Amino acid sequence: MIAVDGLRKRFVQGRGRGARVVQALDGLCFEAVDGRITGLLGPNGAGKTTALRIAAGLIAPDGGRVSVDGVDVGSAPRAALARMGVLSDSRGLYPRLTARENIVYYGALHGMDAAQADARARALATMLGMEPLLDRRTEGFSQGERMKTALARALVHDPPNIVLDEPTNGLDVVSTRALRETLRRLRDEAGKCIVFSTHIMQEVERLCDTVVVVSQGRVAAAGTVAELAVQGGGADFEESFVRLAFPEAAR
Amino acid sequence: MSGAAVLAVFRKELQDALRDRRTLLAVLLSAVAVGPLVLALVGMLVGDIERRAEARTVLVAGIERAPTLANYLARQTWEVRPAPAGYEDALRRGRLGEPVLVVPADFESALARGEPPVLEIVHSASDQRAQAGRGRVQALLRGFGQEQAALRLAMRGVAPAALEIVRVEERDLADAAARGAQMARLVPFFVLMAVLYGALNAALDTTAGERERGSLEPLLMTPAPRWAIVLGKWAAVAAVGMLIALLACLSFLPGQWLLRSETMSALFRFGMHEALAFAVLLLPLAGALSALLLAVAIRCRSFKEAQASATIVVMLVSVLPMVTLFNQQGEQRWHLWVPALAQSALMGRVLEGAPLPWADLLPSLAACLLLGALALAYVARVLARSAVR
Repeated sequence: MIAVDGLRKRFVQGRGRGARVVQALDGLCFEAVDGRITGLLGPNGAGKTTALRIAAGLIAPDGGRVSVDGVDVGSAPRAALARMGVLSDSRGLYPRLTARENIVYYGALHGMDAAQADARARALATMLGMEPLLDRRTEGFSQGERMKTALARALVHDPPNIVLDEPTNGLDVVSTRALRETLRRLRDEAGKCIVFSTHIMQEVERLCDTVVVVSQGRVAAAGTVAELAVQGGGADFEESFVRLAFPEAAR
Repeated sequence: MSGAAVLAVFRKELQDALRDRRTLLAVLLSAVAVGPLVLALVGMLVGDIERRAEARTVLVAGIERAPTLANYLARQTWEVRPAPAGYEDALRRGRLGEPVLVVPADFESALARGEPPVLEIVHSASDQRAQAGRGRVQALLRGFGQEQAALRLAMRGVAPAALEIVRVEERDLADAAARGAQMARLVPFFVLMAVLYGALNAALDTTAGERERGSLEPLLMTPAPRWAIVLGKWAAVAAVGMLIALLACLSFLPGQWLLRSETMSALFRFGMHEALAFAVLLLPLAGALSALLLAVAIRCRSFKEAQASATIVVMLVSVLPMVTLFNQQGEQRWHLWVPALAQSALMGRVLEGAPLPWADLLPSLAACLLLGALALAYVARVLARSAVR
């Protein structure tokens, strides 16, 4: 379970007189529970990536806190990270290592021994349908192959919580469907708590149990897809989303 | 857990660096092969000069005009060869390899009149080999002049010693090993550069390269402590630098066989013992330089940017050892406190066969430790703060 409570964060862009203050997060609150897929839906620049980076302990918030299974990310980042698998928008692999070596390396960094990590790499490869890739160097992998390897790397320690930042970016239809299927299986078979951010409507409609609409660093609305459609009062989900996320523009 | 993380990072980075075959090959060629090659070339040059020195031949234009001189040269067991036509041009282009002695037409008559005939030694500063022969010809002519003067004085009943106010004798205090070290000065420089170039690519790839690839952020989202990541990376970079340096040291062992000249190979003493002493001296420097390169590259967004920043380090390391060359006072106490300069000086001592007391080793060790620790602390701090793009 991931609980985000009143996150605030501002960035200063530029220096001196030309400096511009951007309020990326302005009291963001939501809760993602186990066995459900929670989608963070919002336009570009709404603060989704910032929130997920704070959750992963990469940057410190100005206020508020994130806890993972009750562990506070701010005060015990390493314990929190051990309970979390994060696929951020930088998914660089080591081109001179094989997919298996990339995955096993992260296993070692999570404190697993070589045999354990290797067994886990094989299991993940089976789940993600990437066995033929396992012993190839990642140099020259396609976007979909890269994403699978990066996801396997993020899940090597079998974390109960999974955080994905725009995971379908740059993927074709087949890869996107395969990823969706994987996430459903992780939810249903292992009861994982899954949070993912996106700005793509269909993704949310097809996959999410709970949707959190983020706008200007705040939660504009939250609920199931059906509830939000009613709440927004639009003809379809997209219309409702626009009304919820951009109240001024819709009027 | 933390120790295991250090080991995991170290093993991965080492494997990654050693798989970069193309870069490694380039480094091996430039850092390891060049030293012995230069050594062999210098050896060939010196061997050539020596051969000419032993030959006792002199090129003379117009020897038929000077029977007295020819007689003297023959008594000194020198072989006189006529200078080839167009010798001036050959000298200018550096082709002749020996100076030419030109005898004037009125040599014998001037000598008989008691006037000094003008003998010309024609050489060119651009012909290095001819320059070496100039001294020998001058000494030969001095001998001729002295003999003639002694004869004239004797005819007038004066003791030849009246002309010799002082007698000059040279005595070179440097023993064979120390003289050999002059020539071997090149070796420490090549070995220093090998450490640097060995560590350079690995250091940039593991910092700026990691950021550019987008693999730094995921790495920092593992529970491995950041200092453990920094330590593992540093150890791997230092190991690669040290490996290349070791290969460079060992490459001078067969390099010695390439020395054509016998005197040279007798003077240039570089055996297994020296190679090992070099390796021990270079170990702390490899650590410090690796840490410094990591620190220089850690803030850079791309490999290219990091390369530009690292140029400063490369330049410093190549210029520092020259301080001893330009400094007229020779080696100073403070030299031992400056990384790279200290190692270069200490390696010079190893080549001279001088002892290395602990008191001289400790300053360089302390300086390297301090520099390395500061640089690594900086890298860890930057990683902790600005992990995100």
